[in-house]
Amino acid sequence: MSSDNKIITAELAGVTKIFSRSGNDVVALNNVTFKTVTGEMVLLLGPSGSGKTTLLTLLAGLQQPTLGDVFIFGKRVQDYRQAELQKIRASRMGFIFQTFCLLDSLRVIDNVTLVMKFAGILPGKAKENAVDCLERFGVGHLKNEFPGKLSQGEKQRVAVARAIAGGASLILADEPTGSLPTEQGMAIIEFLHKSVKSDGISVTIASHDERISKYADRIVHLRDGILS
Amino acid sequence: MYAFKTLANQYVRFIITAIGIALCLMLMLFLLAIYYGVSDASVRYVRESEADIWILQRHAANLLRGTSLLSTRHGEIIKQVDGVRSIAPILFFTATVNVPDNTASMHLVGYDPSTGKGGPPEMVAGDTLQNDDQIILDYTFAAKYKLKVGDKLPIRDDTLTVAGLCDGTNLFVIQFAFITLNKARQLLGFQSILSCYQVMVNSGSDPLAVAAKIRSVSPDLAVYDKVTFLNNNIHEAETGVMPLLYVVALIGAVVLTALLSLILSVYVLEQQKDYAIMKALGAPTKFIPGIVIEQALMLAASGLIIALLLFNPMLNAVKRFSPTISAESSFSQVLLVAAGLIIISFLSTILPLLRQRRIYPLDVFR
Repeated sequence: MSSDNKIITAELAGVTKIFSRSGNDVVALNNVTFKTVTGEMVLLLGPSGSGKTTLLTLLAGLQQPTLGDVFIFGKRVQDYRQAELQKIRASRMGFIFQTFCLLDSLRVIDNVTLVMKFAGILPGKAKENAVDCLERFGVGHLKNEFPGKLSQGEKQRVAVARAIAGGASLILADEPTGSLPTEQGMAIIEFLHKSVKSDGISVTIASHDERISKYADRIVHLRDGILS
Repeated sequence: MYAFKTLANQYVRFIITAIGIALCLMLMLFLLAIYYGVSDASVRYVRESEADIWILQRHAANLLRGTSLLSTRHGEIIKQVDGVRSIAPILFFTATVNVPDNTASMHLVGYDPSTGKGGPPEMVAGDTLQNDDQIILDYTFAAKYKLKVGDKLPIRDDTLTVAGLCDGTNLFVIQFAFITLNKARQLLGFQSILSCYQVMVNSGSDPLAVAAKIRSVSPDLAVYDKVTFLNNNIHEAETGVMPLLYVVALIGAVVLTALLSLILSVYVLEQQKDYAIMKALGAPTKFIPGIVIEQALMLAASGLIIALLLFNPMLNAVKRFSPTISAESSFSQVLLVAAGLIIISFLSTILPLLRQRRIYPLDVFR
């Protein structure tokens, strides 16, 4: 499962996803074939309702396709047990959300170590990784703060640190710049881009922000559930 | 960590919940203490008597409820039975007495003070009876009606002087008081009747064998060895009104379960977004249920600590306010309530756990 020495981290093969809403079928994705590989940043461009988030959640194994196959780290998603998928999400995937999704009742450091706890990383090692990562993203001095006291940009950097700290090789980002001013948003994308190049991770960004294009290794357009 | 922090973030609610739990636990501890206190006090007179055998009227089985009337001629027959060392005649009846600004009922026990047999199990003040015009009161009764040694107490057409105060004679709804057998007969107006005989057997004699001999010579009597008679009285004490205490304690437990379940459900609703994030990030299946269970146990433990800190002062205050309340708390009761609390904690997580199952990781992306 590799091409040009790059490992395929996740793949959709002829995937169709249909939702039933109020008795009507809505086609969110229509026969989509897509893959992510290590060392590559893919930008999934499309307007709201185009199916970007559905595609990301399928790549994360959070839902099943109506038709077609989803492969995560080389294995069909249906062939994973629930506990295995949870473990993979915690240890090999990282998530970045538009609204950061930090846990307000936990300090920054605990937000980052929590996912590593899910992955089964020992507390000492998790803390060490978390501190390193937070410092790398310029928010190490905020490790003992609660998220409520951080700026939007700082929150997103903590969220990126959380996504990367556990050693994830596939990062899925859903509108990561959506809540940020342009400068801060682009700084986050730069951070991610550097990680792709330095750590060889795979990043898929779903966004309608075309300014991200200049950082992407590959741009995929999605409209009405159809990839182009 | 997360469980504690979410509780600590809403510390006012946490404290109020812990106090609510503590109050339920104090109610349960209090009812248990009354149950055991009254059960113990109700039978202490029998348990601490020197009698090896108790003899009552046929079909009478205990001292607490029911009537037993015997003739003095029975005593002459019992005395002759082989193995009997001595007998002590006792006369029980309930009387209304005039206490300061009120009237009260007491269970009068007439006994022979020259032998001391059938008298109060433990004196706490004053002296035993020296003549027919004296009475020994239960100390809780005396405290309730502000009576002390030396006070005069009108009973029927007579007036008796309080000679002493005793303990172990509080049956919760009524208390024992002790007078001479002569005075009891005089107050009752019958000279040749008794309620029961206490029988002491010779050393080396088997009380069961002696009891069997008494039954053979007087088949019209109810003859009990001490253990059987004690069990009869315990059984009587634990039936009737006493099971109601357990019912009320059970209601307290149900209220506590509902309270804890409600508050945990509120926490789940409030943390809905956090739980969805955790699920999306790969939280193991047992992680969030673990948080809910931890929260339940932390709330329960906090409530238990508060209850234990406040229970004894509360019990003392209640006893001061109402001295006839006979309550005995013990470590085993605390263990019983703590064990019940653990069960309640787990039961109360059922609804919140069902609720958290309906939180989906996809909610984070909406």
